[in-house]
Amino acid sequence: MFLRRIYQFLMIYFIGLGVLLLLKYGLNLSNYVIPGLSEIYSTGTTEFARYFNDVVNTLSVAIIGQIVAVCMALFVGIIGRQATWFGSFVKVAAYNIQAYPIVALAPIIFILLGDGFISRLLIAAMICYFPLLLSIIGIMSEPITDVEHFYNVTGKMRWQLEVKIRSFENLNKLTTVITGSATLAMAGTIVAEFIAANAGIGYSIRIALYQSSLSKILAALFVIGITLSVYQGLLEWSGAVIKKGWASSGGPT
Amino acid sequence: MHTRHFILQFVISFFSIVIISSVVSATDNMTEVTYRLKWLFNTSVVGDLYTDTQGIFKAHGLDVTVKAGGPERDAIRELELGHAQFGVASADQVIRALAKGSPVVVIAQLFQVNPLQWIYRDTGTTINNLSDLKGKTIGITYGGNDETIMRSLLAKAELREKDVNLYSVRYDYTQFYQGKVDIWPVYVNAQGIILSEKLNDAGESVQFFNPADFGIQFVANSVVTSEKMIKEHPETVQMFITALLKGWEASLLLSNKDLAIQTIRQFDKDTVLNILEQQLEITRKLIKPNDRTLVGQFNIEAWKQTEAIMLEQKQIKKPVHVENVLKQITR
Repeated sequence: MFLRRIYQFLMIYFIGLGVLLLLKYGLNLSNYVIPGLSEIYSTGTTEFARYFNDVVNTLSVAIIGQIVAVCMALFVGIIGRQATWFGSFVKVAAYNIQAYPIVALAPIIFILLGDGFISRLLIAAMICYFPLLLSIIGIMSEPITDVEHFYNVTGKMRWQLEVKIRSFENLNKLTTVITGSATLAMAGTIVAEFIAANAGIGYSIRIALYQSSLSKILAALFVIGITLSVYQGLLEWSGAVIKKGWASSGGPT
Repeated sequence: MHTRHFILQFVISFFSIVIISSVVSATDNMTEVTYRLKWLFNTSVVGDLYTDTQGIFKAHGLDVTVKAGGPERDAIRELELGHAQFGVASADQVIRALAKGSPVVVIAQLFQVNPLQWIYRDTGTTINNLSDLKGKTIGITYGGNDETIMRSLLAKAELREKDVNLYSVRYDYTQFYQGKVDIWPVYVNAQGIILSEKLNDAGESVQFFNPADFGIQFVANSVVTSEKMIKEHPETVQMFITALLKGWEASLLLSNKDLAIQTIRQFDKDTVLNILEQQLEITRKLIKPNDRTLVGQFNIEAWKQTEAIMLEQKQIKKPVHVENVLKQITR
């Protein structure tokens, strides 16, 4: 899984780079507009260690933000799955609030909470929370009639069991949603750092932009892509392990 | 039959419109060019907007599309990519571009005094000498011009980084308002006025710390074009710079103050009149510090110093001899 994720990323990255270089040499552009291969390589080797630390810093915030978002989305999703007035209210509220562009709120968050860790975490969590919530509400609201019918007629159905059955039956979907939200959490953190933080890879990209250094930005993108691929591979692998574990223990009951 | 007639009529009308428009365009005989500014439309670009809105470009045979800049815009890149024929760039951008082989040429230096300065409250903070910076909390934008300038000032004062507290700033001034940062970088003719007003309203008075007063001249915005434009369309470059500098001169005349303010207000609707007037007053001093100064003239020593600073701080690997690309076009 790691390898597949990594070579997929490498393919995309180098195709992108190839297109840029094709443009550079095709249009005879200077290194200021698009840096040459040797400049990209030398910048990459010089800056790799620094950018790797920055990416790890950003990723750690993104992971914590994602965990917070998953927990919140599971909590609200489980409540929202019910066909009660409160359940429908939670659903409607989630659909409406998710339309709010978090990035537009980011400056307010930074003014109120400063440009430290909490602001980055909050923005990362908020950016991946709503897509997660909508998917989890969708999964949790859909009954698995074949399985649930038995427990319903025997009167053994409890809400914990219902959640377990629906999670088990949709584990692939849940894994995909959570893996996808990792990208969102990372993007959210980078955007937050870009706007106002003073640490992380988003902050370094902003500095590179001030210095008009596309080679630094390309190096940063490479490190972000590789790290995120490994993280997403890990999430997919964890999903597979959990599913295997559940299946061998006889399912959610 | 009716449909066929309708289609025929439509085709004839369409081609008539196309032919008439091309004839009109040919009669106009205007050269179309794009001019990319460095920043958003505000008082700092009053001359550019004035030249356009008062028809000075048109009077010189140019149909100019003036485009606002912004943090992610880079006029020099746009020149190379052919998205613009003229642009505004700061000296450090020009020097970085030259270091990477960009065929950029500077045709006028707009700001004779760099508007990038530091604001501070004059109660409790005094900066009469560079050594007064010692122990101060100094706002800088990491990677920005202000970082470069401040590091030069610190080096000149023989102060090390540990002798001051450098604070990373962005667009939010809360830390300065709260007094947690002693001196804060601002464009003196833009946010500088707004911050002064706010602090004055709160009963506090402010001063500006101008690096030029301490011997650091770091050139700001200048008008750039490409070598290709100079070689292939010298008459367009001539027309453009003549019109632009004429427009700038006119916009700064005291007798044209109302018209200049009116021009800015068309584009900058958020800034109140009182602030705009003050911004224009300061901009005038930065562009034309005295009657002898011709708008657009080069301060070659300042350009050389800018390059030397960047070289010293390893922002460029080797000298680019920026003075060689400063082309004073005769008006």
